[in-house]
Amino acid sequence: MSSVARSIRPFASRVLAQKPLASTCRAAPAFRFPRGTRSFSQSPLSQLKKYTESHEWIELADGGNTAKIGITEYAAHSLGDVVFVELPEADLEVGAGEPVGAVESVKSASDVLSPVAGKVIRGNEILEDNAKTINASPEGEGWIAEIEVADVAALEALLDEAAYKETIDA
Amino acid sequence: MLVRSCAFARLHARSQWVRYNSSYPIHRFAELASRPSSRHQIYQSLSTDPYVNLSIEHFLLENAPADSSILFLYINRPCVVIGRNQNPWLETDLRALHNDRRPGNKNILEDEAAVFVRRRSGGGAVFHDEGNLNYSVISPRTSFTRDKHAEMVVRALHRVGAVNTSVNVRHDIVMTPGEELQKDPNEPPTRKVSGSAFKLTRHRALHHGTCLLDSPNIYDLGRFLRSPARGLIQARGVDSVRSPVGNVSRDVADSFFSIQAVMDNVIEEFARLYGVHSDALLRARRARALEPEIFAGDDWVSGTVGEAHEEQEPQIRKGVDELRSLEWKYTQTPQFTFSTYPIEDDPRERPPLPSSLPPSTRAFLRLKHGAVIESNISLSSDETIASEQATRVHQILNGQKLHEITFERWVEILQQGLAGTDGATESVVQELSRYLGDMLGGH
Repeated sequence: MSSVARSIRPFASRVLAQKPLASTCRAAPAFRFPRGTRSFSQSPLSQLKKYTESHEWIELADGGNTAKIGITEYAAHSLGDVVFVELPEADLEVGAGEPVGAVESVKSASDVLSPVAGKVIRGNEILEDNAKTINASPEGEGWIAEIEVADVAALEALLDEAAYKETIDA
Repeated sequence: MLVRSCAFARLHARSQWVRYNSSYPIHRFAELASRPSSRHQIYQSLSTDPYVNLSIEHFLLENAPADSSILFLYINRPCVVIGRNQNPWLETDLRALHNDRRPGNKNILEDEAAVFVRRRSGGGAVFHDEGNLNYSVISPRTSFTRDKHAEMVVRALHRVGAVNTSVNVRHDIVMTPGEELQKDPNEPPTRKVSGSAFKLTRHRALHHGTCLLDSPNIYDLGRFLRSPARGLIQARGVDSVRSPVGNVSRDVADSFFSIQAVMDNVIEEFARLYGVHSDALLRARRARALEPEIFAGDDWVSGTVGEAHEEQEPQIRKGVDELRSLEWKYTQTPQFTFSTYPIEDDPRERPPLPSSLPPSTRAFLRLKHGAVIESNISLSSDETIASEQATRVHQILNGQKLHEITFERWVEILQQGLAGTDGATESVVQELSRYLGDMLGGH
């Protein structure tokens, strides 16, 4: 996993660097803040939703430092019928690019990687009884984990919706 | 041997002699497998240890370059391999397998019995032995489909004469019986010869499959996969789909058939599918040595791997330790219930209890991560006493990991919890312990 963790940032930054501010709209102000500054958490960017190249989404809660993580519509569709979801335990510390859960569908196990570092608050218990919620609503009811984000500024290195769409159309 | 000191420079020079002198010392395996230019890799394993083979495979999944395509062939000693999200108490008969739950019973080589393994990929439970070939293809996720490599193996099987094999909708390979056999009313329309499972990562797709070529256990491998408690356990997670199985060898004229011939053809079909350099193919097909040997060219690696690589490569060793750990094998199990009587979660009618137990005996367990979180074990027909018995037993049982409860431990727990209460004679406690131990791998 550590090799994945190492590769995630450079790749995400590279994608963002290639398509600078022109294609971004909502997320653009994030780039004005240098990485790791405190001011970011007080920025007006509530409801920030970002994506990873490995088809996870992360959405920051209103004005806070907690976020929900799940898999994208595209991922849910391409995986097929989900039969089981491995949920993380509360208090699990995860690094960026480390597994925060796993999904099984059609004999395939796929890790769900946390887009940023943080600490798990809870897994989505709805999925314990009904794994198919992931197929029905991957970016809504079917979220997988809620985490306390270690450094909210880390989200700025992730893909915005337009950049993510580029990766799946490629 | 010169090549060892300046391998890369020489290889890039594409000088003629490199083609025949591309041998590397085996400790270079990890480095060559991870080399960015190693786009095609073909390995056969000399090890029959399922933990080692699965960990070499996992190493390749995690470390080979993102655009590479890899074929890895191996044969395991007898073992039952369950999917990542399955339940060993439900999917296997733990009594028929090596008992790794007893402290001091770790060394599998001293025991002839089949071993129990939980793999990292999804899917159902399968039985392996020396007549079963495992093929594994690791390739870029973007160009992967679930049938691609099963079709590749079918082409190889056709080449050795098994022309009635094909891929079904479950991505398994099945065999249609020959005309003679079709006349037998007991013969199923198809027999499964190969099952598949997948693991998907960020950039990579791993597809591994079994292929029953000539298993000596073909007629009774079901006994390893039939739990004595299947009528009593209700589990979350992934169920196995049972299918009649067959050996590929059954339908092929003897003179044509050998496991080695199948391996050669799988290698050849892989090479064709991915456009592998002919030198890599040559080296891969020649790999018959008893010692590991590694060969490499500009953009390929091939050769034999084995236990030596477990010793040399810390990541492979770590993988083996993880797969062998009882935490991975048992506590990774999704939540489940065991109950001798119908419950809301599992209202099925229950088989009768052994006659040595009082008819009022009740045993219910709910387990999460393989540990007891709820229980109801009692003997008395009087409801008040039964409830007291259950409470006392639960105080001791709560939080205990099921795989750590041996028969002796059941006796201890039940004696402590039930002693002196209605119906709890020493012989009844012994009988109940034996029954629970038998059902739940505590033998």
